[in-house]
Amino acid sequence: MTMQNIGIDKISRRDFLGKGLVFGAGVRGLAAGYAAVPDVFAKAVYSAKSAGVTNDRVLVMIQLGGGNDGLQTVIPIGDAKYRDLRPTLGKEADAALAIDKDHGLHQNLKGIKSLYDQGKVAIVEGVGYPTPSFSHFDSIRVWETGDPTRRQQDGWLGKTIAKNYDSAGHPLVGCATGTTSTPGMLRDLQATLTVINDQASFKFQGNGDNVDRVMGTLYTGTPGIYGALFDTAMSTVRDTVAQLKTSAAKYVPKASYSDNQKLVFSSKNQLAAALQLAAELIVTGTGVKVLHVTLGGFDTHYTEQTRHADLMTYLDAAVSAFHQDLTAYGMADRVLIATWSEFGRRPVENASGGTDHGTAAPVFLIGDPVKGGLYGQGPNLAKLDPSQNVGFNVDFRSVYQEILSGHLGLDGQDVLGASFDAIPFMRAAGS
Amino acid sequence: MDEPTRTAAKPRHRLSRRTVVIGAGAAAGGLAVLRVLGLHTVGPDPRALLDPTSAPVVNTKDWVSPLDAPAAQVAQLLRRATFGMTKAQYETALTEGFQKTLDRLIETPVATPKDLAGADAASQAKPINVTALQSWWLDQILASPSPFAERMTYFWHGHFTSDFRKVTTQAPYIYWQNLTWRKNALGSFRDLLYQVTVDPGMLRYLDLGQSTGKAPNENYSRELMELFTMGVGTFSEDDVRAGAKALAGWREPLTQPMVDYLIARAQQNGRPAPKNLVADSTKTGVFEPARAYRGSVTYLGVTKQWDTNMVLDRIMQQDSVAPYITTKVLREFVMQDPPADYVNRIAAAWKKSGYDIKTLMRDVFTSPEFLQPVAYRSLVKSPTELMVHIARALEAPQLSKTIAQSGAGMGQALFDPPEVGGWPSNASWVSSNNVLTRVNFVVTTLGGMQKLPAFGNAHQTHIDGIVSEPTAQLLNSAADDPTRWLILLASPEFQLK
Repeated sequence: MTMQNIGIDKISRRDFLGKGLVFGAGVRGLAAGYAAVPDVFAKAVYSAKSAGVTNDRVLVMIQLGGGNDGLQTVIPIGDAKYRDLRPTLGKEADAALAIDKDHGLHQNLKGIKSLYDQGKVAIVEGVGYPTPSFSHFDSIRVWETGDPTRRQQDGWLGKTIAKNYDSAGHPLVGCATGTTSTPGMLRDLQATLTVINDQASFKFQGNGDNVDRVMGTLYTGTPGIYGALFDTAMSTVRDTVAQLKTSAAKYVPKASYSDNQKLVFSSKNQLAAALQLAAELIVTGTGVKVLHVTLGGFDTHYTEQTRHADLMTYLDAAVSAFHQDLTAYGMADRVLIATWSEFGRRPVENASGGTDHGTAAPVFLIGDPVKGGLYGQGPNLAKLDPSQNVGFNVDFRSVYQEILSGHLGLDGQDVLGASFDAIPFMRAAGS
Repeated sequence: MDEPTRTAAKPRHRLSRRTVVIGAGAAAGGLAVLRVLGLHTVGPDPRALLDPTSAPVVNTKDWVSPLDAPAAQVAQLLRRATFGMTKAQYETALTEGFQKTLDRLIETPVATPKDLAGADAASQAKPINVTALQSWWLDQILASPSPFAERMTYFWHGHFTSDFRKVTTQAPYIYWQNLTWRKNALGSFRDLLYQVTVDPGMLRYLDLGQSTGKAPNENYSRELMELFTMGVGTFSEDDVRAGAKALAGWREPLTQPMVDYLIARAQQNGRPAPKNLVADSTKTGVFEPARAYRGSVTYLGVTKQWDTNMVLDRIMQQDSVAPYITTKVLREFVMQDPPADYVNRIAAAWKKSGYDIKTLMRDVFTSPEFLQPVAYRSLVKSPTELMVHIARALEAPQLSKTIAQSGAGMGQALFDPPEVGGWPSNASWVSSNNVLTRVNFVVTTLGGMQKLPAFGNAHQTHIDGIVSEPTAQLLNSAADDPTRWLILLASPEFQLK
């Protein structure tokens, strides 16, 4: 299956009615979604937007890809059922970092525990959605679009950008670092966003300035169904290259970032490098509002204990360095870090020392503007559903709602399609 | 199916005044092109046209489909069925014509690559080098006498995914998997599915090799239905659980070098050698009845005691399989959003053929839709397709290692798909990062080449001579062949297949 469909046809169709088609595709082609995007479309939508930056807050989403095991992350140390259900994994309860008599963080989350003790970490327990999907791709799409009915194509953060921020000339309003493709959460053809896998190589090779200019010409008015997509991508590249030239010169990391984490399976994503670049973009005033980074490897069907423990160490070290860096630059009060994962894992351990796909799990919200503590309600292990999974206690959109309204100062309704009861994990501005 | 006529097409977004001004800048850009590669080549006249014996590139404003012409038809076939072409391959196909070329591509017996040195003996002591593995496959892609089989091997690699990270390079499994996919690439889908299920790399990647009747692991059971055959929403969670039980009992095979390593490690640690540790003679999974599930389960509506073949047979009886696979094939080879009647027609014929892959692919390439205007430039080349086509256009098969090392930056390191769902497709290949890395690959490749083939009519050969206004202006104003190659290979036209 492809989770990768970008809603080109939708946008282009809407925009194109009355403007005709390329290739003589005719009405049949239109019906089939083969409308083309006009050459001027890409730029026009950006300039049509009004300036809408309402505050100086920044959001950093960290995707824990594969389905992070919530019960191994926020461990119900006071619940005997947990140890019963997990003969191997349950031993982690003994080493957990207790935050109260019922909850302990995984022993490798030492940095995050320290931030929790400073009141800078909110943990929302039991976050999920109705009729959960156990498919990675389906559930990822639900979280990305904010739509459990799986009808939406655009990402909730892409929509947030498109609806609220004038991004003309500001390619970094939405940005994914440490990856090559646009994350689904940021996806929206009307949002400018850039993707930077590796900063050092994000420039034109050869006689760079000339290549830059020539590509600007070559990717102008490109016909065809992908024309606007290519032209927009190239114009974003050129803006980003220019932006990075100045930001790199202004930034020296004030924390120690390392991707030398030993993992059972090597990581596809360099989380620390991605967060370091995120820090650079934030502290050098590039206008970045929404960042997305990913750490994969959480699909622990097999030998989970070591694999998960190593990932916890990796996550903890990268997040701690990032927070320390922002603090040293005096920017920590502006930045919210939020984790997300497509689902948690089944409470009962399987015979491979792992766990299969599950449902609700905790979400972490980290940063100085956060009102620390526990929110929501943890899993009831004594009362599993017929699929042997836990029910959900908090709709994930209630978390999104607070991110939008409590952090970014936006009305979430146009993004989420409805108003949700926000979980009040953000401090009021100025408090 | 009434084909939309080209004559009905009106030029659409005629260049606006603003675009023309930018276009005029294109000419100036063209002058600057002289040194874009840092090669310091200076042409005799910066405004010189292409090869003086050929006509200047004509801008077509819109990319009007040329697919009613035989040359464009074979070019589209070569771009989509073989990772693009050399000038010689293009000319051969042009002489043969579409039908003969298609017959040759489909019927050429699958050529087996030469062994990758050391891969069969891979162990924890001597792992496979990933770049060497990737280059080995790219060498085969670039030079194989059965290029369509390579293209299908690549398709199955993105469908029946595994990655070297989880499979590891400390066993021959990931290498064997490539050989197995190739061997079965054009046969029966049902046979392929069995080989996939018992493939050692797959046993490890989706944990079936760990699954037992007593404690079934659901990973493979789920993806077998959701991603490999039927599609999401066509089965229940109970089917996932029942399938996990029904499929349990396989383990990964051990090679002699793997056994030797385990014994040596035990000795090193002062432990006795593990008992009953012997190498297996097979290169596929080993079924151990003692680890299987005893008893009957209800799977996809049937209650009985199952074995692996019965499970696969039951899946192949589902109506969802043919449309699901057909949709994916059409999206890869014809168009992003194939209409339902098109999918159903091809799927029905495929099912009738007993799921013969050659039949499916022949039907796809000979379907009228393949050459209709809506199919023209409707697909985005993957990084591998792009780079291999570049290497062919530049007659540079020595680029295999460079291609292997450049894929990751564009989002496609072979043997390392981003997720079990496989590679992105079409629009999702296009991000700012990937557009930049694609251009940079062209720049550094051209900059690193000692000798370039003459440009000649390369824009005709590779992109049918159908170019946008800026592409035409830049090509016409380029002063030398390196610059022309840069414009062609970095153009939006060349990114599409």
